Amino acid sequence: MTLNIIHSGGFTIVQVDGHLNTLNAADFETQVMGLVERGDMKLIIDCSKLSYISSSGLRVFLLAQKKLRANKGLLKLCCLQPSIHEIFDMSGFTQIFLIETTLEASLTS
Amino acid sequence: MNFKNIINTESLSFRILTRVLLITVSLFVLTLSIYYIYTRNLIREAARENAIQLAGNIAGKIAQQLQPMEKLPQMVSATIEMGLFDKDSLIVVLETILKRNPNIYGASIAFAPNIFPEKGLYFMPYAYRNNNEIISTFLGSADYEYFLMDWFQIPFMTKKPYWSEPYFDEGGGNALMTTYSVPFYYHTEQGRVQGGIATIDVDLQWLTDIVSEVTIFETGYAFVLSRNGMAITHPDRSMIMNESIFSNSENWEEPLLREIGRDLQQGNSSFSEYNLKNKVKRWIYYTPLDAGGLSLAVVYPDDEMFASLHKMNLILLALIIFGLILLNFTVVKIVNRLARPLVDIAKTAHKIAEGNFNAPLPEVKSRDEIRLLRNAFVNMQQELGAYVANLTATTAAKEKIESELRIARDIQLSMIPHSFPPFPELPQIDLFAELKSAKEVGGDLYDFFLIDKHQFCFAIGDVSGKGVPASLFMAVTRTLLRSIADKVKSPSGIMKLLNNSLAMNNESCMFVTFFLGVLDISTGELSYVNAGHNPPVIIPGDGAVKFLPLANGIPLGLQENYEYPQFSLSFKDGDKFFAYTDGVSEAENSQHQLFGEQAILDVLMQHKSDHPIALIKAMDAAISQHVSGFDQSDDITMLSIAFNHGSANGTPRNKP
Repeated sequence: MTLNIIHSGGFTIVQVDGHLNTLNAADFETQVMGLVERGDMKLIIDCSKLSYISSSGLRVFLLAQKKLRANKGLLKLCCLQPSIHEIFDMSGFTQIFLIETTLEASLTS
Repeated sequence: MNFKNIINTESLSFRILTRVLLITVSLFVLTLSIYYIYTRNLIREAARENAIQLAGNIAGKIAQQLQPMEKLPQMVSATIEMGLFDKDSLIVVLETILKRNPNIYGASIAFAPNIFPEKGLYFMPYAYRNNNEIISTFLGSADYEYFLMDWFQIPFMTKKPYWSEPYFDEGGGNALMTTYSVPFYYHTEQGRVQGGIATIDVDLQWLTDIVSEVTIFETGYAFVLSRNGMAITHPDRSMIMNESIFSNSENWEEPLLREIGRDLQQGNSSFSEYNLKNKVKRWIYYTPLDAGGLSLAVVYPDDEMFASLHKMNLILLALIIFGLILLNFTVVKIVNRLARPLVDIAKTAHKIAEGNFNAPLPEVKSRDEIRLLRNAFVNMQQELGAYVANLTATTAAKEKIESELRIARDIQLSMIPHSFPPFPELPQIDLFAELKSAKEVGGDLYDFFLIDKHQFCFAIGDVSGKGVPASLFMAVTRTLLRSIADKVKSPSGIMKLLNNSLAMNNESCMFVTFFLGVLDISTGELSYVNAGHNPPVIIPGDGAVKFLPLANGIPLGLQENYEYPQFSLSFKDGDKFFAYTDGVSEAENSQHQLFGEQAILDVLMQHKSDHPIALIKAMDAAISQHVSGFDQSDDITMLSIAFNHGSANGTPRNKP
């Protein structure tokens, strides 16, 4: 897994590339929560290159969202691949997260 | 140092020694060769200069003898030309010359034919020695037409003085002789005409005396050659007047001698080498003499000439061999002394390898690389000791944790029912379940129990993450489920309370996907709620297997007061139910291919009539075949129920 962090129009875009599994979830948590702690209140996680996510990875999404909402921040996910979207559907996470189909949409809405 | 060490071809001393010897021997050979060539050239040059000087001395002595003799016939010639002698008193002149010059054997004045008409064709007064007397006579007759002889003809024609080839005068002195002829003029009525030739016969005994005095080294010598290369003097008397340089060239099969002979005839001087018949090398210096038409040669035997050099070489060689032997022993001794600590260090290293970190290292007094190595070893020994001590402590701690984890695993497993069949007194349900954690403890769970006489509650869940945190969350979920189910009976009610309890103060955002079902075993009516879990599969007694239709509620623990929709369906007799966690569908092989939901359906379809135990074992086997030895990365949980008494309807009915 590699992360690419871009700042655009007040948003912090985190591009996740590869597998997000139990082994690297802790590293992912440190980096994402680092952004939140720093004060990046509008976070977009770009999942266009995310090929797999485990429950440990999902937990980090939840953690980030919880922290951001507590501080009146915002977390959006965008560009989920079909397999990931299926996982989100099945586990009901589509009801928990704000999910956009494109990055542009998540930046404007 | 023992002998084995010296000849061991792999030992340090042997390797150093061979290299040192190779270099030193090469250097010695090179130095010796240069020295030899240089010195040899030097000696040859010295011999050449010595030969030139020697030849010069001998030539001087010979000239001292010959030049006064040459004056005599010249003076006679001059006086005859001036007409100072009466032709009849010439005998007296010749006798006087002989009396005063002991080396002169004879003297004559040979007139050209018919110079004095009254004397006839021949007129040649001649004086010579016979024993101790001087005898005078007149030569010339029809038998001896002297004016046809070489000694007369050559100077007469060339008008120059002429030394004849030396010859043995057998009749007269029985000695080696040569004749010096000088042409003279005479004034007659016709004017100045060539009068004839004045001669002296020189006994060459004195020449042999002078030349044989010369000694060069032990067997070197000097000798005199005639114009034709004939030996005139030689230490080997049999050579004199018998062998020439040309005949020896043939005798000894040495063409170089012929070259020398020709060079000599052209009046040149040179220092050259040649070989005797037995290939013994000789050096020769030859040069023409000023008088007598002779040449002088001095001979240097090669072996004697270079004897001192060869002797010096032998001494040097002996010294070098002695030096090399000394070097050999010194190098072996030094290297072995230097290497001894290395051997000891190697022995200690073996002991260290066996685990003895306190094995003593040899003391090294020198301040060299060996000491560096020894210090590095001491350091390594200490570091290794510390590291191993640390490792031992860590291992102990790890073993303690592992032991605790094993206990935790036992506790965790004891929390879920694991005796099958669980309800032998209830023929309506047959059930089997399996939980395999990827680690010692896991986050998967299943549970089943009777709420009352007819209500059979069962659940399967998967906590986010793995290991100890997941196992704790799983334990909490399982405990809450049992206590809530004691008070609330409807699946949605149980689920709501369970979710609220788990979501409360869930700062770490742990969550659990959860499927909960309540089966009325008297009717076959199943009510169920799903919190984000993988849909279970219904296996109808007749017809295709299919996923249980459901709405996706969110996992437990995330959002308080979430309303979970409840569904229901009726089990028919012979219908089966299969629930699993994502450890099954996402079981990975080494190519990272997932087992997949279709494979689950295929296995279930294939084994639809099997007992739950056989069904789950078949699924296990299929998963094992898929992963083919690749490490299990997630907990695997399966739960299968067979209903043996039920009603007709399999269609779910939403009960909001």
